[in-house]
Amino acid sequence: MKKILIYLFGFLAALFFFTTYAFAHTPLCSCYDNGDGTITCEGGFSDGSSAAGVSMTVQDKSGKAVTEGRMTEDSEFTFKKPSGDYMVVFDAGPGHVVEVPGSEITE
Amino acid sequence: MKKLVLLLSLVVAFGLSAPAYAHFQTIYTPQSALSKTQKINIKLIFTHPWEAGHTMDIGKDQSGTIHPPIAFGFMHKGKKKDLIETLKAITFTSLSNEGRAYDVNMKLKGMGDHVFYFVPAPYYEGAEDIYIQQCTKAIYNIAGAPTDWDALVGDPLPVEIIPLDKPYSIWKGMSFRGVVTCGGKPVPDAEIEVTYMNHNIEGNKFVTKENMEIPQPDLVPIGIKADSNGEFSFTFPNAGWWGFCALGAGGDLKYNGKELSQDAVLWVQVVDIK
Repeated sequence: MKKILIYLFGFLAALFFFTTYAFAHTPLCSCYDNGDGTITCEGGFSDGSSAAGVSMTVQDKSGKAVTEGRMTEDSEFTFKKPSGDYMVVFDAGPGHVVEVPGSEITE
Repeated sequence: MKKLVLLLSLVVAFGLSAPAYAHFQTIYTPQSALSKTQKINIKLIFTHPWEAGHTMDIGKDQSGTIHPPIAFGFMHKGKKKDLIETLKAITFTSLSNEGRAYDVNMKLKGMGDHVFYFVPAPYYEGAEDIYIQQCTKAIYNIAGAPTDWDALVGDPLPVEIIPLDKPYSIWKGMSFRGVVTCGGKPVPDAEIEVTYMNHNIEGNKFVTKENMEIPQPDLVPIGIKADSNGEFSFTFPNAGWWGFCALGAGGDLKYNGKELSQDAVLWVQVVDIK
């Protein structure tokens, strides 16, 4: 009986591991300047899956969050362009974070 | 006697140049895989890319009249955008002549695939006494997100090649597979010509420098065939732009009382590795 439980536990652990692993695609985030004082970022994963609901943070030079939100159903996030240097952080969980420096975001 | 020699040399010259009749419509931009939203230039040229040879006037009929293109646009996240009004007529210079081509400067915006398509008016090829219409696709990507590269564009393309491998993420040594389709259905045993852009494009002309030496010029373009499911594969010997042309994928067609070869063309970029 103990043996069966151990096997069962092993099986479940393996299942959990493989299921988790199935999400290990590369996170993608790309932003552009709309030219009207706003920035739009689009997100996704390398397997084509949606980034809807992924946490988005805009940080100022000191790392302080100035805008926070989530990707929409269309995997988009639009925010007001900060006046100084900034960084956009797409955070889909550990190992799935993309940072886009404001200096790389152009029209 | 002199006349006979001249005639014979003309015949020989014609015979030798005959294998060079491999027309390819381009949708050309220098880079297919882009890291972010940016401005790009696209050139539509009807030419012989391998030799940077004779460039045709796109849409010229038997009487010499040049007809405007029928369709040009792109598909992104399943939505098509018509760009035909943005096309500008240009004169493109090959190594041997000049021809009517088109180009457009535009901003390629938004993460994902942008499947560009072009349908020219049929071109009359006097040497073969037929009309040629090459329905062409090229796929550009921004920031890696795969969205449309494997989808059928459909209307306005009567024929098209559907990629089975991402056409913008091929590195030297990798292969490419595609399916030749007509009206969305596979074309069994399709005959395909494969060409290579052996001369880079700078401005509105080909440069004279070759990217690679052709092992045997009379085997260019390379001939391959699709299988019974319309599927083909090809392994690239060199980095650069490669074009596939499924000849007569549209079936037996007529235009202005002549045979019409309605071909499906797809361009694939192979990136060098260090």
